[in-house]
Amino acid sequence: MTDEQGRPGRTDETAQTAPPDETAQPPELDRTPPARPERVRVTAAGLGAPARPAFDLRSPVAGERATEPAAVYVRSLIRSQLRLGIVAAVGFVVATVAFVLVLALVPDLSAAVVFGVPASWLLLGFGLYPLALTVAVLYVRAAARNEARYRALTVDE
Amino acid sequence: MNPWVGYLSIAAVAAASTLIGFYGLRISRTTSDFYVASRTVRPWWNASAIGGEYLSAASFLGVAGLVLLTGSQGMWFPIGYTAGYLMLLLFVAAPLRRSGAYTIPDFTQARLESTAVRRVTSTLVIVIGWFYIVPQLQGAALTVRITTGMPAWAGSVAVAVIVAAVVMAGGMRSITFVQAFQFWLKLTALAIPTVVILIVVAGGVPGLVAQAASIDPFPVEAGPAGLDVYRTVSLMVALLLGTLGLPHVLVRFYTSPDGVAARRTTVIVLALLSAFYCFPTVFGLLGRVFAPDLAEAGQADALVLMLPARLLPGPAGVLLTALVIAGAFAAFLSTTSGLVVSLAGVISQDLLGGSVRGFRIAAVLATIVPLVVALATESSGLAGSVGLVFAFTASTLCPVLLLGIWWRGLTARGAVAGMLAGGSLSALAIFGGGMLAAWAPGIRPFLEQPAAWTVPVAVAVIIVVSRTDRRGTPRGADAFLARLHTPEL
Repeated sequence: MTDEQGRPGRTDETAQTAPPDETAQPPELDRTPPARPERVRVTAAGLGAPARPAFDLRSPVAGERATEPAAVYVRSLIRSQLRLGIVAAVGFVVATVAFVLVLALVPDLSAAVVFGVPASWLLLGFGLYPLALTVAVLYVRAAARNEARYRALTVDE
Repeated sequence: MNPWVGYLSIAAVAAASTLIGFYGLRISRTTSDFYVASRTVRPWWNASAIGGEYLSAASFLGVAGLVLLTGSQGMWFPIGYTAGYLMLLLFVAAPLRRSGAYTIPDFTQARLESTAVRRVTSTLVIVIGWFYIVPQLQGAALTVRITTGMPAWAGSVAVAVIVAAVVMAGGMRSITFVQAFQFWLKLTALAIPTVVILIVVAGGVPGLVAQAASIDPFPVEAGPAGLDVYRTVSLMVALLLGTLGLPHVLVRFYTSPDGVAARRTTVIVLALLSAFYCFPTVFGLLGRVFAPDLAEAGQADALVLMLPARLLPGPAGVLLTALVIAGAFAAFLSTTSGLVVSLAGVISQDLLGGSVRGFRIAAVLATIVPLVVALATESSGLAGSVGLVFAFTASTLCPVLLLGIWWRGLTARGAVAGMLAGGSLSALAIFGGGMLAAWAPGIRPFLEQPAAWTVPVAVAVIIVVSRTDRRGTPRGADAFLARLHTPEL
């Protein structure tokens, strides 16, 4: 355990690794450059503490008034991401229901035997995973596109 | 079955897990390291670790058992377990990572600016974690009983002790390595036996075919045409949404470097799970043909452990059995340790001041309670009991998490009211269901699979109470939502 020695105290290190995402903020939301965020020790305050996050969880824009257009952009980003998520989820559910209905209602699928197992069993057992994966990949691309659009808007400002 | 096969493979897995755990300890230094691996875990590592953590006794033993027992109805479990990650990807992964919180209670407290909410969420997280650990320990009991002939409690105790030791020693950094290793172990431990068995079966097993031909292994009413619509829909609601609220799964997303990495990680997890679940499904189908005698409650979960030796007499069967036992033990160890880490995180932050020492004490607390429950109760089907935990999670933490991420109108009162309503209704259905159903048999399916009505009720209560409490909207809600959804630069 030699690496236990020769290292600074734990609490100091903890302070330095405090929330790294303090810097992860779009510059436009941040007209008045705030003072460098205070270092926070990453421990919880416990239940008796006042209603404050265990460590600084506030958004970069908390406490300041976000400028009007920036707030509009954020709201439209949230809306488009939510719409995208719902479309993907509904798409997955509708496709699944349709798939299952076909399996249940087409008797040929139950009659056809592949490797000794009815085809409908095999399709149900293995067929839905590719569907979920496809939806996931499409969603990730579209979500990244939404974010790129948001970034382009805020950089143009 | 030769007990030494069991002893050796269990010992090997335990030793490997502990070694990796202690190797990881050398990198684990700070409080932050202990809790979330300092958020430096790469997507592939992280995805393997999530898979390792997620694939529990229910997945490794329970899925094959259910397919054997109930036919294609059982296939919905792995589909739901996997598609839950799709929902996680669509609605939770990136925003949750950007929230910067360590645990679900941290998230709800920060989002709703209320300690009351924190108290309720912490309690729920602990209860959910405990009840999720119980089937893992019961799976261990089953495995030890069947493979070594030792008394069943020895398995539960062994898993509890190993997990508490590893978690106390290394926290999450070492857990990440252990989990990632265990995912690949579990995958191999099912994949190799499946492939070998398929090859053998394709070559023809003379003695077994006669037995198999006596009854139809794939009757139409157990197939997709015999779908029980309400139960399947309700199960899917539970599994798809329950995944969102699982404490040990969520904490993993905090270890991604940023929101985009969190998304990529989730897609990899989906792919890994899809690959994994093919094997227990095949095992279940093989079981219907070659081991129909195991198809009774309490026995079916042992299918994965018994099938290789039945179809391959001689040393090949012994080797494959050893591999399967190792995989099963990896499943109990990894899910239990993931749950213990997140429970210990919550318990130590809320009760013990968040120090490293507090975390260690909390790890013991997180293990002992479910151990007592597991020793006192009998398993009634592993996948089924895990499914009920999903239903409870889907009715409590999931609505608050979803609305907290996407709806600025959520208030602390709404969240507490919804969690209490969803929690008490689903708990009533799960624990009191037997009695209520005896009194009114018509409602049995609604009690045995409650998610389809408890989740909407919880969501409705949250929305109605939040609406009547407009002044309760946290002042920082807009800013917090902006932070959740704006991409990192």
